[in-house]
Amino acid sequence: MKAQYAAGAARILDTANKAGAQYADVQFWTLRQEDVSVRNGDVRNASDVSSAGYGVRALVDGAWGFFGSDRFDDASFDAAAARATALAKSGTKVTDRIPAVQPTEKIVAHYETPMTKDPASIGLSARANMLLTAERAGHVAKNVISAYAFLTIYTTSKEFYSTTGSAITQVLRQAGAGCGVSAMGRDKDVQTRGGPGDFGLYQGGGFEVVERAGLLGIMPEYGREAVLLADAPRLPSGVRDLILDGSVLNLQMHESIGHALELDRALGWEANFSGVSWATPDQVGKLRYGSDLLNIYADNALPLGMATVGYDDEAVKPARVPLIERGILRAFLSSRDTAAETNLPQTASTRAQDWSTVPMVRMTNIVLAPHEGTLASIVADTKDGLYVAGMRSWSIDDHRLNFQFGPQIGYEIKNGKRGRIFKQPTYTGVSPHFWGSLDRVGGHEDFVVWGTPNCGKGEPEQIGRTTHACSVARFRKVTTGVKSDA
Amino acid sequence: MRDQDRALSLAERVLKAAAGADQAQVSVAVSDASYARFARNYVVQNLASVSTQITLTYYVGKKSGSVSTDDASPASIARMVAAARAIAQRVPPDNGFVSLPKPAAIATAARSYYDTTADATADDRVEKLLPLFARMKTSDLSSSGFATTQINTVAIANSLGVRAAFTGTMSGLQLKAIAERTSGFAEFYGPDFSMLDPQAVAERAAMKATLSRVPANLKPGTYTVLLEPSAFAAALKALTEGMGAGDVLEDKDSWMVGRIGKRVFSPNFTLRDDWSHPLFANAPFNTGDGAPTKKLTLIDRGVAKHYVSSTYTANKYHVPNTGHPGFPANGVVEPGTRSREALLASIERGVLISRTWYERVVDPRAAAITGITRDGVYLIENGKLTKTLKNFRYFVSMIDALKDVEFSNAQVLTEPDSDTSYSSVLPDAKIAKYNLAAQTSFA
Repeated sequence: MKAQYAAGAARILDTANKAGAQYADVQFWTLRQEDVSVRNGDVRNASDVSSAGYGVRALVDGAWGFFGSDRFDDASFDAAAARATALAKSGTKVTDRIPAVQPTEKIVAHYETPMTKDPASIGLSARANMLLTAERAGHVAKNVISAYAFLTIYTTSKEFYSTTGSAITQVLRQAGAGCGVSAMGRDKDVQTRGGPGDFGLYQGGGFEVVERAGLLGIMPEYGREAVLLADAPRLPSGVRDLILDGSVLNLQMHESIGHALELDRALGWEANFSGVSWATPDQVGKLRYGSDLLNIYADNALPLGMATVGYDDEAVKPARVPLIERGILRAFLSSRDTAAETNLPQTASTRAQDWSTVPMVRMTNIVLAPHEGTLASIVADTKDGLYVAGMRSWSIDDHRLNFQFGPQIGYEIKNGKRGRIFKQPTYTGVSPHFWGSLDRVGGHEDFVVWGTPNCGKGEPEQIGRTTHACSVARFRKVTTGVKSDA
Repeated sequence: MRDQDRALSLAERVLKAAAGADQAQVSVAVSDASYARFARNYVVQNLASVSTQITLTYYVGKKSGSVSTDDASPASIARMVAAARAIAQRVPPDNGFVSLPKPAAIATAARSYYDTTADATADDRVEKLLPLFARMKTSDLSSSGFATTQINTVAIANSLGVRAAFTGTMSGLQLKAIAERTSGFAEFYGPDFSMLDPQAVAERAAMKATLSRVPANLKPGTYTVLLEPSAFAAALKALTEGMGAGDVLEDKDSWMVGRIGKRVFSPNFTLRDDWSHPLFANAPFNTGDGAPTKKLTLIDRGVAKHYVSSTYTANKYHVPNTGHPGFPANGVVEPGTRSREALLASIERGVLISRTWYERVVDPRAAAITGITRDGVYLIENGKLTKTLKNFRYFVSMIDALKDVEFSNAQVLTEPDSDTSYSSVLPDAKIAKYNLAAQTSFA
């Protein structure tokens, strides 16, 4: 990748410096998102969205200012630097504050996400026809009322420059694909079964991710399950042993571990919108988050991770950092400022959605370390329980404690065998109790790097790409079958 | 030249370059948005950005390609047209597509642009916050929230002759006042930044945060609740998310299926869609396709009347085009006759809910929702707020809940929805039966 913006960056950094910034950095972004979606035999969307711009951060007396622009002439470069610095200065009007950390390193580096199949080698017709073929395969019965399939390709080029002399270029690639089927039951109830994962399979890489999703292979089964769900009974309320498919477990990790371990949230920075956390930095090394089988680590160099980078958006290099070891809290997802305030490790988790948004602590790649056993063996080992898959609705409080999840499908398990299907198989819990009841974590056989492309946080809201890699897991004595009109 | 004229001129320039299309639509969205985000009584993120997004949708028969960029140079426009044409030529058709909208008269927008908002500086926003921080400190409170000023422009031009453009300003302040174990929330939204009174917002949030030092337990169950507009806005989504023609006619999982023309709710409940309400700064057209937005009474004194449609869904399902982007974008709930204070005074024992979180529709046919309260839940006893409560998870069918509802006589503009970016104009809602199903361990 050839750097394009070094001269513009030098002008911006010089202008910010002259305006009074003690430190400044600028990141130039070129973003591209290619989408194709089909539904009921029609191509509903075929789009190619690109955007280029830059975000300037200026630091004055420990206060940050940020300005994003998509205007590339010299006057706009100067105006952006001046406005970022003015924003920083206005923050210094508040005298009683914790000052931000001034970066000092000089880093010169390049990174590209590896891929095995360049999306450019797959034409639009081929993409659309692949989706249409998969979508058709979902129409397995007369009461299938709709089916859909989609794919997305993301390509992002970044150039980061700072007043300390850093120059980092990166080309980041991610992709995803998903599909689903809706069927109407005899009582006109509509149920949907889709995936893979909570929405689809999203990973770092090229078109091989779309192929790995295997839409054509899974659609007939989604169709069959949607038809069964449409006339299935609701899950009766009860306390059961619960086996979470990876399609559910990864979102459970996202909501009740990943978000809870964002250090800015734990420090109160996000209290108004994203909320706070029941886990706080003073509890590191002491707080029991879950059972001994709960081993979570952050790894922003994880192969296939959606949040995998060479450096984050404040030039921190990823490292594998244990967050929870044998159930005990060890660290948080952090930025330079939050890590410095708490004396906790940096995890390279500072990210912006794009050039127009300020970098902030985000959930990036988190991993539930696999243990042993396949899904089949865990089902066989369960006398009386419930296996759930696919996601329909989810809700958790702003401390990340009390949650309710609504998977798409539940299979009763009796004496180690799958039995009846239930629709709306909801379950509820409180984070430390729930993770404390974790008694089986599957092995590598069912381990998948599950990504999510649409995690919201911040004001204005930024959409982030995260990963929660996991196998399957079993939890003991979980409250299930919550009635919506109880 | 005003922002909307510049945007429309750019849209027409791109449209001209796409002259070879069977049909084509160009939309231009321009944003200039600033936020001073604060926590712990100082500004933690002080940010602004300017952006322009140009989107061309190019049709070859029923096949289409859509391309977006923020580069308005002639070379970029040429590339955009070529790319959109290439997509349209290669992908299979959307047989549901009939036509883009034809030109139709668009009403003149109400006043939507205020210099006080458009010209606000970084210092102006922070200076609004300084007295707020001081107020927090006098009660030993921390804070979290933001002050924002924005200018938003959208312009649409299509090859059939539609020309639509709009510029509006918006300002807002959200404040969560945080005590050791309790909190209180207050907010303001409006197009005119000069109307923002940070002291008033701070006083209300501080009052709620300091009502109790320790949050109390309340046995879960069905209670009369008073939903402040922010909480009511979230609950109302259970209905509005199912009020698009696609929800009713294609997905068939809307609460409206089988209920249109029937009395479903209390006669007190009337929901209109009215872009011209004076509290809005909304476009008088569908910002997705440029068709004029009709003013509609969607729920008339409890009777389900209308769903909304875009040009696409109207043509596909042979229903009138209401000029909406798939949902009611300009929701207004008619106010009642009594003040918020009078409604509060009328509740012998109940719960006031300020705000909710992670609200999800769990059964769209029943408009059934679950969610969690946040940032202040209070016990009402004999018409007064008496103590702060720990938060609740609620399970409610809004079909059932709005059978017995009364609204306050004051409407406010609510926070733009994070999914759609549209606001509503809402009063407080007193609902006789609300299922507070479980209580959390914190406030």
